[in-house]
Amino acid sequence: MSRGSLPDAVDPRGAGGAPVNQIELTIDDRTVTVDEGTSVFDAARIHGIPIPVLCHQQNERPVGVCRVCSVDCGERVLQASCVRPAEQGMKVQTNSEKVKKSRRMLIELLMSDHPSPCARQRKSGDCELETLARLEGITAPRFPKRVSPRGQDDSSLVISVDHEACILCDRCIRGCDEIRMNDVLGRRGKGYNAGIAFDLSRPMGNSSCVSCGECMVSCPTGALTNKSVIQTVLPGGEPVAVPELKQLPFFQRVSGTFLELNANAVIKRHFKAGEIICREGEYGSTAFYILEGTVQIFLATPMAHVSTFGGATGFFSKLTSRLTGGDRHRAGADHPRSISIDASVDLPYDNPVAELGPGELFGEMTCMNLYPRSATVRASTDCVMFEMLRNVLDVILRNKTLRSELEANYRRRALDDHLRTVPLFASLSPDFIESLASRVELIRLSKGDVICRQGDIADAFYLVRIGFVKVTEEHPGGDLVRAYLGKGGYFGEIGLLTNGLRTATVSALDHVELLRIGAEDFHDMLERFPTIKRDLTAVAREREEQNTRHMAAVTGVSLNSFLAQGLMEANSLLLIDLEKCTRCDNCVRACADAHDGVTRLIREGLRFENYLVATSCRQCRDPLCMVGCPVGSIRRRNSLEIVIEDWCVGCGLCAQNCPYGNINMHPFEVMLKDLTAPKQVKAVVKRKATSCDLCSEHAEPSCVYACPHDAAHRVDPNQFFKAYSGIKTTERA
Amino acid sequence: MRIDQSHRSWSLWALAILVLASAAYVPYALTTRPSGGSIPGLLYGIAGYGMMLFAALLGARKRVPVWRLGRSQTWMRGHIWFGLLTLPMILFHSGFSARGPLASVLMALLFLVFLSGVGGAAIQHFVPGMITSMVPLETIYEEIPHVREQLLAEAEARVRVLFTEADAGAAPESAEMIELETEDRDYVAGVYRNMILPFLQHPDGGASVLADGDRAGAFFEALRRKLPATAHATIADLESICEEERQLIRQKRLYLWLHSWLLVHVPLSIALIVLGGVHAVVAWRY
Repeated sequence: MSRGSLPDAVDPRGAGGAPVNQIELTIDDRTVTVDEGTSVFDAARIHGIPIPVLCHQQNERPVGVCRVCSVDCGERVLQASCVRPAEQGMKVQTNSEKVKKSRRMLIELLMSDHPSPCARQRKSGDCELETLARLEGITAPRFPKRVSPRGQDDSSLVISVDHEACILCDRCIRGCDEIRMNDVLGRRGKGYNAGIAFDLSRPMGNSSCVSCGECMVSCPTGALTNKSVIQTVLPGGEPVAVPELKQLPFFQRVSGTFLELNANAVIKRHFKAGEIICREGEYGSTAFYILEGTVQIFLATPMAHVSTFGGATGFFSKLTSRLTGGDRHRAGADHPRSISIDASVDLPYDNPVAELGPGELFGEMTCMNLYPRSATVRASTDCVMFEMLRNVLDVILRNKTLRSELEANYRRRALDDHLRTVPLFASLSPDFIESLASRVELIRLSKGDVICRQGDIADAFYLVRIGFVKVTEEHPGGDLVRAYLGKGGYFGEIGLLTNGLRTATVSALDHVELLRIGAEDFHDMLERFPTIKRDLTAVAREREEQNTRHMAAVTGVSLNSFLAQGLMEANSLLLIDLEKCTRCDNCVRACADAHDGVTRLIREGLRFENYLVATSCRQCRDPLCMVGCPVGSIRRRNSLEIVIEDWCVGCGLCAQNCPYGNINMHPFEVMLKDLTAPKQVKAVVKRKATSCDLCSEHAEPSCVYACPHDAAHRVDPNQFFKAYSGIKTTERA
Repeated sequence: MRIDQSHRSWSLWALAILVLASAAYVPYALTTRPSGGSIPGLLYGIAGYGMMLFAALLGARKRVPVWRLGRSQTWMRGHIWFGLLTLPMILFHSGFSARGPLASVLMALLFLVFLSGVGGAAIQHFVPGMITSMVPLETIYEEIPHVREQLLAEAEARVRVLFTEADAGAAPESAEMIELETEDRDYVAGVYRNMILPFLQHPDGGASVLADGDRAGAFFEALRRKLPATAHATIADLESICEEERQLIRQKRLYLWLHSWLLVHVPLSIALIVLGGVHAVVAWRY
């Protein structure tokens, strides 16, 4: 029997749809006539005789697993009516004492394992099992509940899975495999461990599930429920009727039930030319799909660093913080060709403006990862677009047709730019990029997915398109985070260039999309462009050397509290010797004096013996501040210092992410073009993130320089505490 | 500033200057009657006053902490060691006597400034270490009132599991409340209102039993013995809140020591510099 077809015995039409014989049987003392091959359940249903059931529904092949529909056909045992074909002259009792007793027992047994009220019962009061139990008058089952919990799975953005509420009726499995032909759902385990599984028992959100919603609408209990967004009403738009949505290729393969359940999660919005659609730095939770019109996407923030001014050589020079733009770039910073944003295009650094048109999607990273907006978007012409919440976007992005459309757009418009974002690839010829465009693979990953593992065979080179990945190196004492890479970051070259094995494990920190260049194409590229090979080899060597240095630095320090306080993660610490410090706060005043009255250090923090680890940037080895920057403006130099680039949009996410509170938001009043009246300028307060810059214009940080008591020191913690532990050991001896 | 091994070179240089000045003073004092108006006397006076001025410039230096005028700690070391040399220099200048009322006042001021400075240096040598060991929960001084408010609020929140304000022997109001006998509840309410709350509201009064660590320990031990084990966790919380409060009292007291000597040293130093200048002009003109 092939999957997707009803068993011959219960196919009401018979083979090939040819006319079938009629048969006569008696159900509950009523004589009824049905087509030959009709099941007893259908025969009763057609004639208005209700038989309770859980595992069967009309659009699915009956399997007879729940046995709730059991009836007495006058045979030795009761028969599941959904799979028992009706026969000529059959006498069926659906409500005899024997049947009722059996049904009641089954429901009671099922209820003993069911978390009552389940999610569905709580939400809509229509859990089929609990409804049956109520009708049967079952309140508290006599049997004990299972002791081993089966757990919940909340990984999907759209559907909540409660394995505890699952009655193993398999309706979801048949819905997924036979109705939608997605073949994602199946069974796992045996006996008490039996349950439904996605792919090879992966979390639903990480599986190949396309979130069509069929399993959810098939489920009779609260095991699969919609993560409701009914309360979320997107402002300023008009709700879109499901039929209208279904006419668009974009939504054609999305379950209508799902769209109905999420009616408020997608709206149509109209923007007049010149109207601002979203602003950089603002927090949002939606993505936009352009139906009509074009939009201009740009950075309104002044391209400027917060710089400390004042001559390092001037005897009486006073330091001040100012926004400095123009040709002034940070020492050691590469001049970027473009700025990565949350759209299918990058913005040119020298003129950060781009246009998007119909069929383009923007705001994907904000929507999926709840990051701040990376750019300001203004309607160039009158526009119509869909604004959608994360669960809708997730469903859409799982749609293969749409994905291939978006990917084609990306390959056509942004791949070239994206590849060239990596300075090393700037010299690639257009024809090579064109040939590469058809061969690179776009990979989509969920939070926690491992992209490659240390020790695996290196088979590809990766570029980050959306989201953030974490690069960790495994060591016997634990993992060492080597880097966080955001859009424009790349990895995998060391393995391909050296011994063919991965030297680190790379995993997705959130919703991530990567550009995968296979090993063959990668080597082909290196052969054709020797300069790229030379530069990549140099970068690989430099990264290896850095790793060796880091490892040398973190080994040999055995101070427990040093490790416990996470100080080994720091690259540079401002330590205050409390035995010497007279609490005069000259360090804080000096810092404030050096930075426009806004101090970047607070004389408070963790204590390590007689040292205070002041609240000031630690230049962490695991720089959490870098995760989520929507424009990738916070980065680290090769010397590991954290720097904030001049295109910082002032969203403040880095300040929120810093676990030590060491990043401040610095307000500046600047004159900018009025976005609503282009011919006018207006004063606006723009924020830029600032963290300790080590007063890099000077030989020594101001806080240390100004301490009259030799109490403040900027130190490499590993060297310092290694020496310190040596002194302590000597003292103890 | 902690005066330790790192001051070795400064102390040796200061000693060398002192030895040289003394060596020059002995033949000078043996051959003539030392006076401020003599050439050696004037040289000693200029050197002494110059050292005073340098020491006084530390205050100005601190006002411009980011100016690259030399590291502040260099200025501080100069302040200490030149400041110490000032006394012998001025004594050599005056020939160990003060003639006239202005000179007498100056000499008295010099001694006072010198002693307050030495005292201050001693305080700044020892007190930071005392704060570090005696106040593990040290906070920023300006934050103390705020921390105290938080401690009071925390104590109020903690104690609500034992009794409520409206509670006069009534049954517990919420599920989080610990069940106590009515007598115990009244007792703990009385202790809180009469002992703990006044201490947390007015911690600097000093009269409370809870201001003393040993007596507070005994007090809480007695409270634990009186109440059932279910209340002990709350008692421990209240005890640690009182301990933190005591640390804040200690911090305030030690900070007072650490900085209050400046209230003597700085004005007297200014007076000394000004009157020293007057003395120089008067002596020069008359």
